[in-house]
Amino acid sequence: MNDIKILLVDDEEDFIRTLSERLEMRDLKSNTAFDGEQAISIVNDQEPDIIILDLKMPGIDGMEVLRRVRKSYPNIQVIIQTGHGNDLDESEARQLGVFDYLKKPVDVELLVERIKAAAKAMKLKDSMAAAAFAEAGEHDTARKMMKG
Amino acid sequence: MKICSGTVSLKSLEMKSSGSYYAWQKQLFVLVVIVVSVVPLIIISWTASDYYKKSWLQKTSLELSGLAGSRKEIIDLFLNNQENLLSGFTNLYSLEYLRVQRNLEKLFRAMNKSGVIVDLGVIDHRGRHLAYVGPYKSQLADKNYAAAEWFGEVMQSGRYVSDVFSGYRNEPHFVAAVTDPAKSWILRATINSELFHSLLASAEVGPGGDAYIINRAGELQTPSLLGAKALSAEELAMLISKNGTAVRLTEKYIYATVPINKGDWTLVLKTDINTSLAEFYMARKRDMLIIAAASLIILVVAILLVRSMVNKIEEADKKRMAMNNRMRQVEKMALIGRLAASVAHEINNPLQIITTQAGWVDELLDDEDKKQLKNYDEYRDSINKIRGNVKRAGEITHRLLGFSKSNGYERKEIDLNQLIEDTAALLANEAKAHRITLRYFFEQSLMRVITDASQLQQVFLNILNNAIDAIGQDGVISISTRSNGGHIIAEFADSGPGLSPDSIKKLFDPFYTTKSPDKGTGLGLSISFSIMQRLGGDIKAENRKEGGSIFTVMLPAY
Repeated sequence: MNDIKILLVDDEEDFIRTLSERLEMRDLKSNTAFDGEQAISIVNDQEPDIIILDLKMPGIDGMEVLRRVRKSYPNIQVIIQTGHGNDLDESEARQLGVFDYLKKPVDVELLVERIKAAAKAMKLKDSMAAAAFAEAGEHDTARKMMKG
Repeated sequence: MKICSGTVSLKSLEMKSSGSYYAWQKQLFVLVVIVVSVVPLIIISWTASDYYKKSWLQKTSLELSGLAGSRKEIIDLFLNNQENLLSGFTNLYSLEYLRVQRNLEKLFRAMNKSGVIVDLGVIDHRGRHLAYVGPYKSQLADKNYAAAEWFGEVMQSGRYVSDVFSGYRNEPHFVAAVTDPAKSWILRATINSELFHSLLASAEVGPGGDAYIINRAGELQTPSLLGAKALSAEELAMLISKNGTAVRLTEKYIYATVPINKGDWTLVLKTDINTSLAEFYMARKRDMLIIAAASLIILVVAILLVRSMVNKIEEADKKRMAMNNRMRQVEKMALIGRLAASVAHEINNPLQIITTQAGWVDELLDDEDKKQLKNYDEYRDSINKIRGNVKRAGEITHRLLGFSKSNGYERKEIDLNQLIEDTAALLANEAKAHRITLRYFFEQSLMRVITDASQLQQVFLNILNNAIDAIGQDGVISISTRSNGGHIIAEFADSGPGLSPDSIKKLFDPFYTTKSPDKGTGLGLSISFSIMQRLGGDIKAENRKEGGSIFTVMLPAY
């Protein structure tokens, strides 16, 4: 579990810092971004596995980040964590394929549970992809994927 | 019943105060109808009646003067005949011939075929009675008239007609005398004036009317038909002041006068206005009755018409007012929705930070030495309370966001009966615990509904939750569905205590609740209201006559 790369994106810096520390206490390593642009550059540099994303942010907002991530990195699992309960946003986010849509205030235990579920789904997806590669005779790729 | 929030009843209050307004409107309309219809009717009938009376009087006056004229002709003719007869004899016979008693008797017999001549006498220029035929021979035989007034007059003008007097047999008479052309002797006759009497008695002057002849002094020459012995002073003054042909109107009578006997006498015909107008008064009475009946009919029709008209207006006003209140509520909810959504969002972020920080402190406490930290348990307790209350606040903000759910709802065909049953099943245990029976009265062939099942379910849940809380212990919730025109209607009736007037007013207002703070936020029904508006339906609450309240949910059918 400790090899999952998590990116926390929220403009509330206090919240993000504390959350990051609390996740670390639970053996979850995370990086932080305080706005959309920062988030996108970190995604481009480090390609995290899971992004915890707020929607309402100055500059590039969460929804835009989500769109770009979906486009370039379809394998990254995104969990929305927002204070904005607008059901339009929720349905848009879900259409863009987010793993879950959580409404603030979110208890850290719930968040951790959803992160783990997302990681599991990701692994499952990877293993299915690996199986597909193996089937196709690309064993090297498959092995690499399983290891990753 | 205990409820979470409402509108409904502003209108019921406004209605009450406006009751007198509509009653006043009714009175005003009826008054207007009376003024524009009945009043002209009365005015017309009044002027018509006045005109009718005037023309009646005119006609009667004309008839009366016509009658007087015709009677005058007869009387004057009679008088002339008698006079001409006498003067004819004076031309025909000499004094010498007529002074012989036998010759005068012959003439009397020839003259008196009609019986109107009572006696006949011959008088010389010195007033001596030379001959006499008649019943008063002994009294008159040797009478000398030289000093009598009439003698002087006849000797001067050649003719004389006396006033009427009653003779010995109490028969009315008058005397006519003429001289011979040389005015040397006089032929005198007493003439029975009974004829005048019968002529006048036959005059149609109507009941209460009179007909008589008066002389220049106003003395009655014929008896009054009414038996009056003499004219009243008033009549006397009026009738002798001007004795030409005239019609005079007094308060009570019409008098037609015409001079006769060369102006010596005046024939008076008098008719009683009231009795001659009896027919007119009867006609007027009948007209009045007809007008009264017509007015009554107009009044009744006006009242009925106005009542139904004003009632319709009142109904339309009520509908419009109810609609306005509904619109106001809808607008209010939309505004609250936007406000709530933005407030909720702004509050959710701090809540998130509070809960995260509290959690962080909680986790850090794990690292502390429990024994060295004096208030360790207090910290833990406090943190738990913070987290619990953040959760509670979060629930409220999430419910608030329920207002702002806008267009993004599902549209699926649903089985409303099934949805209600499924929703009720969620509360079955709670209902059972409170010994509340759920009864279903479903219309099996309900029309299709295309709507958002989960939002509708939320509305039903709110209503049912309230119903259970309202009943408390032991009761019945009856749920019925039916199609009505283009709508599907679901009704939830409970056997609770019903809604207070205050509740009815504020039922759908956000944060209005009669429950304790831990049981309800006061948002359930206001959110239900916005949901029903979004779904194109409606929700309303009333008290039932048989007790308890009834919530009606209406949806458009497809």
